[in-house]
Amino acid sequence: MKKWWVFALCLVPLFGWADEKKVLHLYNWADYMKPELIQAFEEQFNCRIMQDYFDSNEAMYAKLKAGATGYDVIFPSSYMVNVMKEQGMLMPLDHDKIPNLRFIDPAYLKFTMDPVMDYGVPYMVGSTGIGYDGSRVEDFEPSWKMFNNEAYAGRMTLLNDMREAIGAALKLLGYSINSTDEAELAQARDVVIGWKRNIAKFESEQYKNGLVSAEFLLVQGYSGDILQAMDENEDVVYAIPREGTSLASDDMVIPVDAREPDLAHAFINFLHEPQNAADNTGYVYYLCPNKASYDLLAEEIRNDPSIFLDPAVVEKCEVILDLGEENAKYIKVWDEIRAAE
Amino acid sequence: MTWGPRTKETLLSLPSMVWLIGLFLVPTLLVFAISFRPSTPFGGVGEGWTLETIRGLANPNYPTIIWRTVWISLSTTAICLTLAVPCAYFMARAPVRWRSFLVMLVIIPFWTNFLIRIFAWKIMLHPEGLLKKFLLMLHLVEPRTILMYNEGAVLLVLVYSYLSFAILPIYAATEKFDFGLLEAAQDLGATRLRALVQIFLPGISRGMITAALVVFIPALGSYVIPEIVGGPSSEMIGNKIAQRVFVDRNLPHASGLSALLTLAVVVPMLLVLMLQRRSPSGLSKPEGRA
Repeated sequence: MKKWWVFALCLVPLFGWADEKKVLHLYNWADYMKPELIQAFEEQFNCRIMQDYFDSNEAMYAKLKAGATGYDVIFPSSYMVNVMKEQGMLMPLDHDKIPNLRFIDPAYLKFTMDPVMDYGVPYMVGSTGIGYDGSRVEDFEPSWKMFNNEAYAGRMTLLNDMREAIGAALKLLGYSINSTDEAELAQARDVVIGWKRNIAKFESEQYKNGLVSAEFLLVQGYSGDILQAMDENEDVVYAIPREGTSLASDDMVIPVDAREPDLAHAFINFLHEPQNAADNTGYVYYLCPNKASYDLLAEEIRNDPSIFLDPAVVEKCEVILDLGEENAKYIKVWDEIRAAE
Repeated sequence: MTWGPRTKETLLSLPSMVWLIGLFLVPTLLVFAISFRPSTPFGGVGEGWTLETIRGLANPNYPTIIWRTVWISLSTTAICLTLAVPCAYFMARAPVRWRSFLVMLVIIPFWTNFLIRIFAWKIMLHPEGLLKKFLLMLHLVEPRTILMYNEGAVLLVLVYSYLSFAILPIYAATEKFDFGLLEAAQDLGATRLRALVQIFLPGISRGMITAALVVFIPALGSYVIPEIVGGPSSEMIGNKIAQRVFVDRNLPHASGLSALLTLAVVVPMLLVLMLQRRSPSGLSKPEGRA
């Protein structure tokens, strides 16, 4: 009889204290939020925050599509917000609960697919570009052509993301990053196959560490990641290729099955408090498009052309769109690239 | 009420049967079933049945990847066995008080997380790391040689990861082997080498078969290792399945590839089982040959 008591006691923690504090579940990219902000929110709203990470929109989407539930705020790129919205996976936002929406910089709303913010609020905007080790890459020029340079063979990486890798080649050739023309895609394929002979691997996450440790000398990567790498290795430089590149806005959305929708709204509002937005930009080095926060930023961030892009550069850049069934063309080209020797 | 031995046996094996059916057989059959479903452009599984996926498996890019997967897995198995047999022999011949210590040494790496051990290899093979500098000093490599991100690195880390799994079953078989038989063979005029090949190896053949399966099957399904230390041309089937799920949003096609992989694993297993049935004891083989 005694044994049963011990067993029952063991179960108490499972039921007894489980719901003492509310828990907000985030599904985010890695290194994408200032940790102190998480703590501040936890204290202010007497809750706990659990974070889970993804390394591509596609992985996040596939996981949700396969039935993953329990997330309250997710941070997909805006093209993916569109897909999720059409699939009925998102909850419409209650603007009354997010008064700080008034601070959003309208100049950056054109990068999102949802400019009226029915379902998504811009979190950070950034660009895809080239990060390189300035002390070892001497003949650098800001062009996607750099990946043809055999001098750095085996020490370069391209993103393991078919739209970004093929997109860079499309840009080099002067085509749209969302091209669905098969002849253009075939040309881009041949360019990427040429690059593939020079790169160490297709990599979307570890290139940051590789750049810091000088394992990789030249990488295709996201602006904030490379600016973060600069903090750890002062030789690292970020450049936007002159042919143009992709710009992206990652948005905050609330899935339909969120368990804490009120807390989720409060969290979105919290991140757009001007001071919090400024702190976050200063930590992740992407730009939180919150107008009131710009004046609170440190001088060197306010003047950094990698964070506040020159309008002439923006002119040449594009936002990656979801192509629906036309995606199959990219998949075919990507398969051919991956299989090519 | 009394239960016959047969009922007792059934009852005893019931939990493991339920486990296997619920968590292995049913999911596997589901995977087979989904590969006959159409895919939808937004990552769902459509209604109705189709042979589209099966036709899609004739993708002209697959033979390269399948061939690479098979040869890397076979090489891993061969190298692991070649290294494991002398290890096991040495361990079994060591003084008794040393043996459990040696077994522990084989097991200790498992105390560290699998992923962390793979990342450790990244540090060791770093293009400006110690190993590279050492090899440069010996003039074994050129300054521009890259040690990582190729098939060789994948093979190296696979062998490292599965070597323990090969040593343990072979050691178990070797420990039970009667080493007196080797002396007897030599007394009867066999050379040392001949005694090892004709008496020792058949004697531990069951352990070797187990080791081969335990290495070959997970190697076929490798995903993490080629993902981390592999290069742009070291994709294996596991990576292709992941791409089909995550990037292409095509669950039926991923299922089709997985089904193919399952068949590739089950068929050799059945063959081995049939072979083992035919020769219940490894020792009966050499009879009549000597």
